[in-house]
Amino acid sequence: MKFGPLLKLACAAAATVALAGAAHAEDKVVKIGAVFPMTGNAASAGIHAKYAIEVALDIINNAHPELAALPLAKNAGLAGLGGAKVEVVFADNQGSPATGQNQALRLITEEKVVALTGAYQSGITLTTSAIAERYGIPYVNGESVASNLTERGFKWFFRTTPIATDFVRVYYDFLTDMKAQGAKIDNVALVHDNTEYGTSVANTIAAGFKDKGLNINDISYVSNATDVQSQVLQLKEKKPDVVLMISYTSDAILFAKTMQAQDYKPPLLLADDAGYSDPAFLKAVGKSSQGVFNRSAWSVGPPGSPSAIIADMYKKKSGDEMDDTAGREMEGFFVLVDAIDRAGSTEPAKIQAALKATDLKPEQLMMGYRGVKFDDKGQNILASAVIIQLQDDGETYLTVWPKPNAVKAPVLPYKGWQ
Amino acid sequence: MMRRLIWPALLLAILLAYPFVFATPFQQRLGALVLLYAIAASSWNIVGGYAGQVSVGHVVFFGCGAYAAMGAYAHFGLSPLIGLPAGIVAAVAIAAIVGVPTLRLSGHYFSMATIAVAELIRLVVTNTDYLGAAVGLSGPTVPRNVFDLSFISALPYYYLFLIVLAITLLMTWWMTHSRMGFYLRAIKDSERAARSLGAPAARIKLYAFMLSAALTSVAGALYAMMFGFVDPDSGLGLLISVKILIMAALGGAGLLFGPLVGAAILVPLEEISNSLLGGKGAGLTFVVYGAIIVLIARFQPGGILTLIKRLLERRAKPRAKEEQRLATGATHAP
Amino acid sequence: MSFILVQVIVGGLLLGAVYALFSSGLTLVWGMMNIVNFAHGDFVMLGMYAAFVVFTLFGVGPLAGVPFATLLLAALGVVVYFALIRGIMKGPMLAQILGTFGLALLLRYSVFWWFGADFLSLPQNIVGGTLVFWGLRIEAARLLAGIVALVVTLGLHLLLTRTALGSKMLAVAEDATAAQLMGIRPDTMQAIAWAIAAGATGLAGALIATFFYIVPTVGETLGIVAFVTVSLGGFGSVPGALVAGLLIGVIESLSGYLIGAVYKDIVVYALFLSFLWFRPQGLMGKT
Repeated sequence: MKFGPLLKLACAAAATVALAGAAHAEDKVVKIGAVFPMTGNAASAGIHAKYAIEVALDIINNAHPELAALPLAKNAGLAGLGGAKVEVVFADNQGSPATGQNQALRLITEEKVVALTGAYQSGITLTTSAIAERYGIPYVNGESVASNLTERGFKWFFRTTPIATDFVRVYYDFLTDMKAQGAKIDNVALVHDNTEYGTSVANTIAAGFKDKGLNINDISYVSNATDVQSQVLQLKEKKPDVVLMISYTSDAILFAKTMQAQDYKPPLLLADDAGYSDPAFLKAVGKSSQGVFNRSAWSVGPPGSPSAIIADMYKKKSGDEMDDTAGREMEGFFVLVDAIDRAGSTEPAKIQAALKATDLKPEQLMMGYRGVKFDDKGQNILASAVIIQLQDDGETYLTVWPKPNAVKAPVLPYKGWQ
Repeated sequence: MMRRLIWPALLLAILLAYPFVFATPFQQRLGALVLLYAIAASSWNIVGGYAGQVSVGHVVFFGCGAYAAMGAYAHFGLSPLIGLPAGIVAAVAIAAIVGVPTLRLSGHYFSMATIAVAELIRLVVTNTDYLGAAVGLSGPTVPRNVFDLSFISALPYYYLFLIVLAITLLMTWWMTHSRMGFYLRAIKDSERAARSLGAPAARIKLYAFMLSAALTSVAGALYAMMFGFVDPDSGLGLLISVKILIMAALGGAGLLFGPLVGAAILVPLEEISNSLLGGKGAGLTFVVYGAIIVLIARFQPGGILTLIKRLLERRAKPRAKEEQRLATGATHAP
Repeated sequence: MSFILVQVIVGGLLLGAVYALFSSGLTLVWGMMNIVNFAHGDFVMLGMYAAFVVFTLFGVGPLAGVPFATLLLAALGVVVYFALIRGIMKGPMLAQILGTFGLALLLRYSVFWWFGADFLSLPQNIVGGTLVFWGLRIEAARLLAGIVALVVTLGLHLLLTRTALGSKMLAVAEDATAAQLMGIRPDTMQAIAWAIAAGATGLAGALIATFFYIVPTVGETLGIVAFVTVSLGGFGSVPGALVAGLLIGVIESLSGYLIGAVYKDIVVYALFLSFLWFRPQGLMGKT
């Protein structure tokens, strides 16, 4: 009987167990990096993203039996890693693709984060995820909509949010339903700014709608406008059936004010999230924008539902109502941490595999997606949105479409101000 | 003569050794960034410091290089390096076209004109699909060969930038010691007097402007290759010119190593204060950054390098006095 | 001329008046003291926040907000003059750019730190409603700003040309040494000039806040507009700033309507450059 090899095997086995135990003991904290704009023009979005992630951390790291439907909420910490807590290191991308990439590098090599999330602006997500890809670090993006992000053949980049092509589908189906209810939808005016968000979304929607036979009028303006009277007058002249607004907050507010000043009410006003979902918009001009439709994947359910509880937690932490963008960021973060939990390890390759295998059902999400499942480009093919509307002089949006999700029926035409 | 070469030699030694002393990836990248901005600021220095024409719109040349590099890849599948000469040509062309009517404007008008040109071009690019419009242009995400200049480590960038910086500084040095430099000093002192003595002021300023433009576009191309992306804000935004200008001014405009000193102070200051304070979301990074710039502007407007030089001279003075005394055979104690 | 075109032009004039309003302070210091003030846009921003604070604390609109902002900014102007400007005034333009840029960052992000990054705005009805004259629709808030712009421009112009204080300020601007020999204290005059300019800018900010969004970074955009307005009008010419502002407003509005908003700034810059090349002293500046 040869004891030698057997002894060696036993020693190896013992060593492995000991090492695994040691590794287990050291995995008490899982560090994740978050790169967002904390200064600059988009700082408001970045700071709300921070609040959203901090709420998520509270849910993950502490026991929240009332949110049992969401993975990771029931237990304190990550069950798959022996109760390890999650810690997030935030970094400011200052609105610059270069700074974003530098900070991502710092998070990876100095803070030794096991994964990254962020970075809000698509151009910055592009550069930050590029460095994550080079270092083999998983990157989950919850909110950037540029289509080229998932066209780079990256293996470590995953995106949970719906993108422009999804919105084309949602908007077209919604408008067709409204047509069935008597509205006219053949002439659509696309009002958008000339940032990468505005142009890329507008181009995708224009192409998609034209394919379906709708007439498109493209009205672009410069973001952070000082005056949009000319644009509103153009709309007044052209009298489109549908006005689709693709704007950031300041311009959304300016448009609302100018439309009222010029006494212009489009028959149907539809907004593409962004500025129209910002609580600042509702505070400033909500009362004079009654009946505006918006797309969102976030809506607050009845009291006691996970979304209501989260909305409450978010309000306590940030002082603001939860908006769609913050929600999408939170969901992206949850998906990432869920994958780490399922991987049972902080090894990048294992997290990557777990992400690829993600298959979350709608009940397990806080956002209204149809689920989370990534295709081989890293895009969530079950991402979707619903249509919400500002009704009844309220200052919160209500889900009005599609029917199964609707809390109230859509109201037409656009009311605007009283 | 040899004494004068000690400082540059020492500087070179420090720069060569830096990535090995500060060897973490982030520190090496920081070093590469300092050198990159030093190239841009030193290029600006030629027209802003030596010729005294404060160009606030210099970013337009930076953008030429960055867009040419990324365009070569995005549209033709070529290595971004091939775009570099195209960027230089575009930058020099713009400098020539813009320079002729603009350089004859005095101080503030010239600066305003450069701002207008830079913003004009940025807006045109934002609305031009071929140049990526607002979305921008991306470089190779996975490098196909070494000429794509897309490295994971910052080390190759560091030494590449060091070589380009050395070339830039050598060209500046050569220029200041040439006839052109002689004319520039005269023009900076008093253009009218220089002209009356026969200096071809307009032509000289134009050459300085074109040289500066060419070198700045190289900096832009290198930037684009390192970060793999350019869009109207990051390649043609006014903030970039202002940053470059401030680095040159803070270090010492019109001095050979001024921009390098300025970059060596401001780039790490920004990145480190961002790393420490940025994540909190209170904007403190920029409060600190702004305060420091204000203090330096108020108390050392000539730049840090001028301060250093003055301190060194002051230390050298007592020694000179001592030598003098010994030479004259004085016997009383110093 | 089609009716909508008239509306566009009127809108442009109102917009331009606003531009003139917040540029008048800049042309004063630029012309008088040759200072390039990169922090100008942020002074406007401070005026906006001052109005917001007054509203939040006392629930009052521009009637209280404007005087408060004017006085606050005037005081700040004096502080900034003695703490920073006096030191860099005589220095090269670079030092001025350096110093005022640093100041801009300092002001912008101090406000950011205190108020946060969210977009704020005053309630819509604070200077409420839209007035209708012969079918032309004019926002009351903008009309108020426009009228005040005219008043302020006239006031500053009269101050400089008709009062003893004004001629003292102009004397110092022309030749500080000579003025000193005549018993005028340059330091005091310059501090006063700076205070007036800052006060006017604060006033502008407080008025703009009634119809524009309030955010710490708004100074960036407004600063550039002010620079162009002032250069076009001629450094130091307050009437020039008014005319230039109105011109820019109308051009922006018209090109926005006829060609497309994304091109309006291109048109403005192109016109501005042509002007600089053929008439660098601006519309009403001195040669």
